[in-house]
Amino acid sequence: MTQRPTWQIVLRYILVLIVVGWFTFPTYWMVTMAFKPKVEWSTAHGTIYWVPQNPTLDNFETVLTEYRGRFFRANQSSALPSIRSSIIVSIGGTLFALLIGTLAAYGLSRFSTDTGELPWYIALGRLGLLILVLLPFMVLWAWLGIIRYWYGILSFTLLGIAVNQLLDKFLALFYRGPTGSLAFSILQLRMFPPMAIVIPVMIMWSAFKLIDTWYGLIAVYGVVTFPFVVWLMKSFFDEIPRELDEAAIVDGASNWGAFFKVVLPLAKGGLASTALFVFILNWSDFLIALLLTTRDWPTIPVFLNSLVSSEIGAQHGPKAALGLLAVIPPVVFGILIQRYLVRGLTFGAIKR
Amino acid sequence: MANIRLENVTKRFGRVTALQSINLEIHHGEFFCVLGPPGAGKTTLLRLIVGLEKPDAGTIYIDGEPVNDVHPRNRDIAMIFQNLALYPDKTVFDNIAFPLRERKLPAEQIKARVAQVARMLHIEHLLERKPGKLSGGERQRVAIARALVRTPRAYLMDEPLANLDALLRLEMRIELKRLQEQLNETLVYVTSDQVEAMSMADRIAVLYKGVVQQCDTPDNVYNLPANRRVATIVGSPPMNFLTCQVQRTDGQLNLVHSGFGFRVIGSDHPLWDCLCRALPAVQEVLVGVRPEDIRLYPEQPTDVIAFPARVAVSEPLGAETIVDVQLGRDIIKVITPPTQYFAEKQPVWVAFDMAKVHVMDVQTGARIYTTGAPEQLQCILPGTCA
Ligand SMILES: Nc1ncnc2c1ncn2[C@@H]1O[C@H](COP(=O)(O)OP(=O)(O)OP(=O)(O)O)[C@@H](O)[C@H]1O
Ligand SMILES: [Mg+2]
Repeated sequence: MTQRPTWQIVLRYILVLIVVGWFTFPTYWMVTMAFKPKVEWSTAHGTIYWVPQNPTLDNFETVLTEYRGRFFRANQSSALPSIRSSIIVSIGGTLFALLIGTLAAYGLSRFSTDTGELPWYIALGRLGLLILVLLPFMVLWAWLGIIRYWYGILSFTLLGIAVNQLLDKFLALFYRGPTGSLAFSILQLRMFPPMAIVIPVMIMWSAFKLIDTWYGLIAVYGVVTFPFVVWLMKSFFDEIPRELDEAAIVDGASNWGAFFKVVLPLAKGGLASTALFVFILNWSDFLIALLLTTRDWPTIPVFLNSLVSSEIGAQHGPKAALGLLAVIPPVVFGILIQRYLVRGLTFGAIKR
Repeated sequence: MANIRLENVTKRFGRVTALQSINLEIHHGEFFCVLGPPGAGKTTLLRLIVGLEKPDAGTIYIDGEPVNDVHPRNRDIAMIFQNLALYPDKTVFDNIAFPLRERKLPAEQIKARVAQVARMLHIEHLLERKPGKLSGGERQRVAIARALVRTPRAYLMDEPLANLDALLRLEMRIELKRLQEQLNETLVYVTSDQVEAMSMADRIAVLYKGVVQQCDTPDNVYNLPANRRVATIVGSPPMNFLTCQVQRTDGQLNLVHSGFGFRVIGSDHPLWDCLCRALPAVQEVLVGVRPEDIRLYPEQPTDVIAFPARVAVSEPLGAETIVDVQLGRDIIKVITPPTQYFAEKQPVWVAFDMAKVHVMDVQTGARIYTTGAPEQLQCILPGTCA
């Protein structure tokens, strides 16, 4: 190998610096802004301060203590309730999704009787048929004026499930072949953009009086992240040889015992990374929390958005301060579990 | 100790029939081998006995009790899986202790029992390690220890020695046999290695394509194979099969091949009975002779009748040499002592051990007759009869 000319090396470093700078500048700007006094973060004076001239903790004080009536469109004047809300609903939603998702994933991995994928034309036709059948009922429900009430929503949901089942029976009359896989249907739940489902959910939640409650948010977060848990955990369980559970059962464990004593400990790395992933999703959600909370339970992203005062408009400094605080939990969580993020725990147990 | 009985057990996976109407009885304290090529259904048979699969038809009895609906944890049978299935995150001690902990034994008792089994299998020094840090042979022992640590009604082992190197396999074979004699427990041992089956088993069930071909002592399986399949699976290299014409002329019965011929003497001979009275339409039979029951002579011998042939290939293996010989239109394999040297294309004389000649049905492969004594069949040279 010949030595490259110096100018090439220099050019390479310059390019690297530009790219790194491009990506890290927003973070830099947020971190520095969090420590700038108001004169430096507001544009009122027409000067841009690239580096804080007089670092201060004022912004943190502003978001963390009450300035009753000073700013904020939300009815809260301090970020503390929103921090509490974020912590409760993110952790709650994560635990909820992990609980049902992990069990579902184990079931799918070990006991699934899936018969293979439904051909796309049958799947699409079936979906079209479902909508076609349900549409008149929806019109009817609207005409009866019950679609806005909890019993209207409940009855329509039950009707949808019933029609869905009947459709399967009907299909079975002339179609013999794979009937689809449950695991894939669960994945399909994720193909809905949240925007598409959050409005109906909002209507349902208001009918069920779940708007602006911690449990209402946890329920939505749990359901929205459930498919991720199922798919991630299923792939982890699939990697654990079935013979391990079977050996445990033959050795005298119950089915639950085999799961908790043998399989789950082996999947704890996967469980930890799934938990982190789902937690970050919940923690950074804005849209769902925006539509499902009003006064008591807005989360940090929602509160951030409302940090506006009547005097000087957007409160950029306090926003940056709160943003910086919001970065802490996922980062700490990530560092705590990083040893579990390393795969390969099952190495060597099985002779291949 | 337990007596395991399978009655008409059938197991299907979708369109594949893994086991077809299995009838077996495994006795108390027996070393029972299931021998079969890959895909024969051996693993499926063990999984049925231990309860991890349910039969589609038939009944499984343990000590006379039907267990079809008994959960595997309550069948009290220990199984060593084909891939061992050691718990990778647990230490060797915890692996071996697992069955005892599931039975809620007191801690001191568990400790004592594990130590005892570990000593028996020479793995005391490994107890604190995880399975990933063990050699293949050590893992094998840990898996055996996990099965031996409790006193189940029977042990099932699925090709436990398959992935060990040849030397270790030999060693473990002897150890396992000794262990079983000590324990005097029912042991169902699955293998695709006929040497393992022959050397260890009290009885062997030969399984092929989900059907039990023969279930008998190693001696009988080797000397009186039920059919062509068994004769192929047991023995290495497998038995030679030669298609012979059946000639029934003027009160004589001859089996004639392009390279040799046999004459059946006397109308009270069992073959006469079979081929002239029971199956008078049969035109061909298979004559089977094992490679170890054939002799090669460089010159025509004077004391035995030998047939002229020609060497095709010679394969020296050290302790013996396997020679492929062109006999008539067929090629047969012959095991010869290494002291004899045969060059390619060399003319030789082939003599059969006339006490060990098998005759089988061409269609079904079922064995019709085995000589047992040299005088039963008379050799005739080709071309000396019609
Ligand atoms: N869970 C299953 N699903 C579908 N087919 C199966 C299943 N288990 C076994 N089979 C089929 O049943 C037959 C017997 O399989 P089995 O594993 O019992 O064979 P084996 O004798 O143990 O083979 P090997 O020596 O390779 O272990 C094979 O054709 C196999 O493909
Ligand atoms: Mg097998």
